[in-house]
Amino acid sequence: MYDLNICHLYPDLLNTYGDRGNILALQRRAQWHGINTQVTNITIGDSFDSSEYDIIFLGGGQDYEQEIIQADVLNQKGSEIKSAIDNMKVFLCICGGYQLMGKYYKTWDGKDIEFLGALDLWTVGGKERMIGNIVFESDFISEDGKPLKIVGFENHSGRTYLGEGIRPLGKVLSGSGNNGTDGYEGAVYNNVYCSYSHGSLLPKNPQLTDHLLTLALKQKYTDFDTLGQLDDTFETAARSSVIERILKNI
Amino acid sequence: MKLRQVISIFISKFAIKVLRLIKKGGTTLPGKLAFKIYPGILRSIAGNFEIIMVTGTNGKTTTTRIIEEILKNNNIDYITNKSGANLLSGITTIFIQAVTLTGKPRHRVALIESDEAAFNQVTKHLQPKAVVVTNFFRDQLDRYGELYSTLNAVKSGLERVGDNTSLILNADDSMCASLGRETNKPVFYYGIAPEAGAGDTGNSGDINTDAMFCINCKNKYEYTNHIYGHLGGFYCTGCGYKRPAASLECTGIQETGSSHTTINWKSAPPLSETLQEYTTRINLPGLYNVYNAMAAATCGLALNYSANTVISAMQSFECGFGRMESITVGDKTIKLILVKNPTGFNQVLSFLALDEQQLNAAFLINDKLADGTDISWLWDVDFEQLNKNPDKIGNLFASGLRGEDMAVRLKYSGLDTRKIRIIKDYQLLLERGLEQTPPGGCFHILPTYTAMLDIRGILKKKYNLKEFWK
Repeated sequence: MYDLNICHLYPDLLNTYGDRGNILALQRRAQWHGINTQVTNITIGDSFDSSEYDIIFLGGGQDYEQEIIQADVLNQKGSEIKSAIDNMKVFLCICGGYQLMGKYYKTWDGKDIEFLGALDLWTVGGKERMIGNIVFESDFISEDGKPLKIVGFENHSGRTYLGEGIRPLGKVLSGSGNNGTDGYEGAVYNNVYCSYSHGSLLPKNPQLTDHLLTLALKQKYTDFDTLGQLDDTFETAARSSVIERILKNI
Repeated sequence: MKLRQVISIFISKFAIKVLRLIKKGGTTLPGKLAFKIYPGILRSIAGNFEIIMVTGTNGKTTTTRIIEEILKNNNIDYITNKSGANLLSGITTIFIQAVTLTGKPRHRVALIESDEAAFNQVTKHLQPKAVVVTNFFRDQLDRYGELYSTLNAVKSGLERVGDNTSLILNADDSMCASLGRETNKPVFYYGIAPEAGAGDTGNSGDINTDAMFCINCKNKYEYTNHIYGHLGGFYCTGCGYKRPAASLECTGIQETGSSHTTINWKSAPPLSETLQEYTTRINLPGLYNVYNAMAAATCGLALNYSANTVISAMQSFECGFGRMESITVGDKTIKLILVKNPTGFNQVLSFLALDEQQLNAAFLINDKLADGTDISWLWDVDFEQLNKNPDKIGNLFASGLRGEDMAVRLKYSGLDTRKIRIIKDYQLLLERGLEQTPPGGCFHILPTYTAMLDIRGILKKKYNLKEFWK
């Protein structure tokens, strides 16, 4: 029997936009695939040893709470997060958690906030928020031989730009994505997956959940091959209903 | 100026009549028209009313209805905005209806429920005598933005009103209570006392709550007792900010039923001359309605209405409009319970868990503007609590524009998927839901705001449910 240890970083601070659904999705699908999981909550002041975990999750939060974690993430957990990335640990980072992995956040009135710098990307604040359903397609996962269409809901004023060596998670079909201009959404580096999509993202995009579980299992167990097929009737219905509704308008 | 006012009132009144005639409700459009014609209209006509305002995230409508009952018990001639017409235009409409063509008030008191995001805007035009703030919880982030922005907007709104406005604030909510600091206005706090033994047994909430860190110094709050969400006996070891003493609070829960709660409560000076203790049966179930009753009672006593009239209001008020609204269909009951945000939804789920009978429920989730276009919040709702007692779960239906997402949410709570069904057609949903509810049982319908308007429309036709603006 396979085991996966999932770490939820700052669950009491980055907890605003329903992103804990991603943790639920990882747990449930692993369970349905017959894989044991354990979720550990790690927050401010807690020691963090990344070697204990296979999947690390960071969600989105409010500005107030993000300010609170900044010192802890930079000074206490930063080097562990960076070495986990080098060691090909699987990360899922949503919205605020995504921005935090980058180098800095420049507010719209010109203030620079230093971020982790674990990935070569950066964010510039805008005055207008980009809010709405988003559909994008990702080359990382295929569905019937075509790039997978992923659905979510974005709500951010930060515009994120990717440096060299960082690939976008997907190409936006409807919505704003990273910055509303270059047509891309999210970021991927090693096994780190970043996205602006709430929704929650993983529950209604089960192929993405299984993709992350597979990466983590392959990383941990050399004999692991592939996950089996589950009944995804509800998930498919949820995803298709958004895709149909959104894409018929463009 | 005067002429524009008369024209503004006339056209707006005419619009109300026409919209009612064609059964369109007409709660907001007339107010919009009035403003277009004369932007000073609300300030000008509202000036002669004694105004009571209620705002906050959850419990506004119920609190307003209990205060309304207090006014009735005192034979006060009042107006109030029903049916969630609680933005600037809806509030303007209600005042237009309440004045003569020349703008003279036809009633003495105006009891106004105000959307928390609109409050700042509304207080540009109104000077309330008392403002009740219920609480602050995360709600429709796509519309309201982050929680602290909502708090700051209400704070700015309160700064606009005069120093003799009484503030009635929730002592157990660190955000709401903070509005009473650094103000010259008279402040009356209400709450649920630690000795009431209500809420969670632990001393801290779930990690998925709001406002866990001090609003002044960003240290993590500690709690002497915890009610639900971030409500309770909070204190900060960093700066010393803590739950203020309440002059009115619930001191004990005697009995919780499916249609009421019996509580002990007390009022202390300056709300009453001496310490007074009471036992009262509140005419709605659920801990969150204890807060609503305490808020309304504090408002009543702060405005010098007698304790007797306050108590009888708590005992007899009726809410309607999706707040535990019941419809009898043969030997079965349909209960409508509006759901808007995680905390409210969690409270409804805990209430349902109290019921001994099998749970048969439909969740109607829409994502229109008034519901919030982002349904991510469903993942912040603790549906996992349904799974604690899986044998009690009967049939669960997912419906509304985002019914499929709702079904996914239920599935990932770990419930047996054979018990979850997606039915998008409301007629069919009602038929199937009632059919599968055992005789004598209750079919619970939990809709978001616009889904409630739709399902109410059908229930109205089928079972003669009351029209909501009446």
